[in-house]
This record gives sequence, structure tokens and C-alpha cells, in this order.
Amino acid sequence: MDARRLPFCALWIAMLAACTPKDVGFVEIKTFPVATPATMLYLDSVKLEPLKSGSAVLRQQVGTAKLAVEAGGGQMALLCDIVVRKNRITTVTISLLERPPRCQCRNTAVVEPPAVRSCIG
Amino acid sequence: MDTVSFGHSAVGRVLVMGLALVFAAPPLSARAFAAGNTSARGDAIAPVEDFSRELDKLKNSFGELGKKMDDSAKAIDGYTDVEKTRKEIEDLRGAVSGLLDAVTDNGALATLGDKALTRARDKLKELEQDTRFKPEEKNFLIEQWRKLRDDTERANQELGSARSRFAELLRTLQANEDFIDELVQIRQAQKVIDVIHQLTRDIRGASDQLQHLIGGIKPPGA
Repeated sequence: MDARRLPFCALWIAMLAACTPKDVGFVEIKTFPVATPATMLYLDSVKLEPLKSGSAVLRQQVGTAKLAVEAGGGQMALLCDIVVRKNRITTVTISLLERPPRCQCRNTAVVEPPAVRSCIG
Repeated sequence: MDTVSFGHSAVGRVLVMGLALVFAAPPLSARAFAAGNTSARGDAIAPVEDFSRELDKLKNSFGELGKKMDDSAKAIDGYTDVEKTRKEIEDLRGAVSGLLDAVTDNGALATLGDKALTRARDKLKELEQDTRFKPEEKNFLIEQWRKLRDDTERANQELGSARSRFAELLRTLQANEDFIDELVQIRQAQKVIDVIHQLTRDIRGASDQLQHLIGGIKPPGA
């Protein structure tokens, strides 16, 4: 192959790789009791739309996402980590009865050292 | 196995209503054109049409998935090979994920649905205050948009119930796959125990032979 074309080929391959859809999984968030629109939830710093009927199923890139809630004064309070695996759903229920709100995982991931609660699908 | 059904009637109604409004447009378009409002009319119905189109595509995928599920359920029943079963469940999980992806709350279809609903509600509010039309024309338009809004709301609700069912299905498949994984681990643990038993038997055999050999050694002159 012509050596001058190599950089273009590399660029082309890089562009193709960038266009390939990333692996995704799902996060199901439920709130108990049903959250009011005033409850602001964030998944990896992305503000979530108010949950319809206190529940939402969201697509999320594979990896560990952080679920947080906006506490008073615009401060963010980390609730738990959510481990998202390819084509799998991780379910978490947020108990709003407790102060601060608490994550209840359907399945809890074992992490070392145990820091914040970690939910897995 | 349950197949996922989607409310054909509501989707159909949305489409019919959409078409009805499109066909209702020509007699009104002259007036709208005079008012310099043609693009606004096109934009008004576009979100609803987009939503209907995407719902139709999804409906077709549901049919394909139903068949795949039935085939897979039959196949899984016949398998004794855990690896094959695991592969089959994994494939099925991929198919369900594809559909769940289409109906997630942050997916394109849900966004289109919300947009269509907002548009229908806004349009109703606008029409109620509109003074351009004769009362009977205004009533007709309001009635059409009201039906459209109701049908879009119903379609959105059905989308929500499809979302719940796909999520539940995915969870069931995950649990089954995890159970199979546990079975594989038990089988592997059993294999390890078999190997240990075999090794113990071999050592005991060697030990017996050695004992026999030692027993056979007689000191000179004994």
C-alpha cells in the first residue's frame, strides 16, 4: 500500500470505530413512594426527566454509572453506583422515606473495598 | 411463552386520525396560506406522523420477536447441553434488549411520543383561542385534535406497558441465564471432585504397591 495513504486509512478506521454503536444495557429506576417532579435525579451527572408513575427504564452505556439526587442548595448527594452490563437490566428502588434517600438494589454487587452501595443486573 | 402484543387499535387510530387531518387540510389550506401559515400546519402534524411511523416499525419487530421467542422456547426445552441453552438465552436476551432499547424512557420513540402529545395539547389550546374559523370549523378541528390527543395518550400508555413487559422479560432471561451459570459451576465443581477422587485412588494404589514392595524386601539371611 502507498505509504502516503496510511494516515488516511488510519483516520478512516478510527472514524468507523467511533461510529460503531457502543454496548448498552438498561437501568430501571423506581421510587418509593412515587417521586414528585421536585425530586431531581441524576445518572452520571445527566439530569433525568421526572419519572412517570415513579418508574423509568433507561438505556445506558455499559460500565458503572453513579446515581445521585439533588439535595438542598443544589448539592448532589450520591445514592449508589449502578453496574450496567451488556443487554442486561439493573433494577434499583430509591426509598424516599429515608433521609437521605437510599438505594435498594435487586442484586447487590460485591465491591472491594466496600464503599458506596453498588447495584448490578 | 407469552408474546408481547401491542395495541394495534390505538396505533391504527393515530394513523387514521393523522391521515384524516392531512385530507382535511386542502379546503383549509387556502385560508391558512392566506394567513401565511403553511409551514406551521405542516409542523403541527409532523410529530404525530413521525410517532405513528416509528410505532409501526416497532410493531413489525414485535411480531418477529414473538416468533423467535416461541422457537427459542421449543429449542431450550429440547436441550440438555447447558452451553447451547446458555447461548440460546443469550441470543434471546440480545433480541429483547433490542426492543427494550427502542421503547426506553430516554429512547427515540418515547421522545417522539412525548413530543407528539405536547404538540396535540398545545394545538388544542391554540385552537380554543383561535378566531380565524367559523364555529363549526373550529369545533371540527378541536374534535379532531382531541381524538388525536387521546389516541396519542393511549399509544404512549401502551408503549409504557410494553416497556414494563420487556423489562420483566429481560429480568427473567437474566435470572435463567444466571441459574444456568450456577449449574455450569456446580458441574465444574463436580468434575474437580471427580479428579480429586481419581487422584486419591491413584495415590492409594501407588501407596499399596509401595507397601507391597517394602513388605517384599527381606533382609539378607532372614
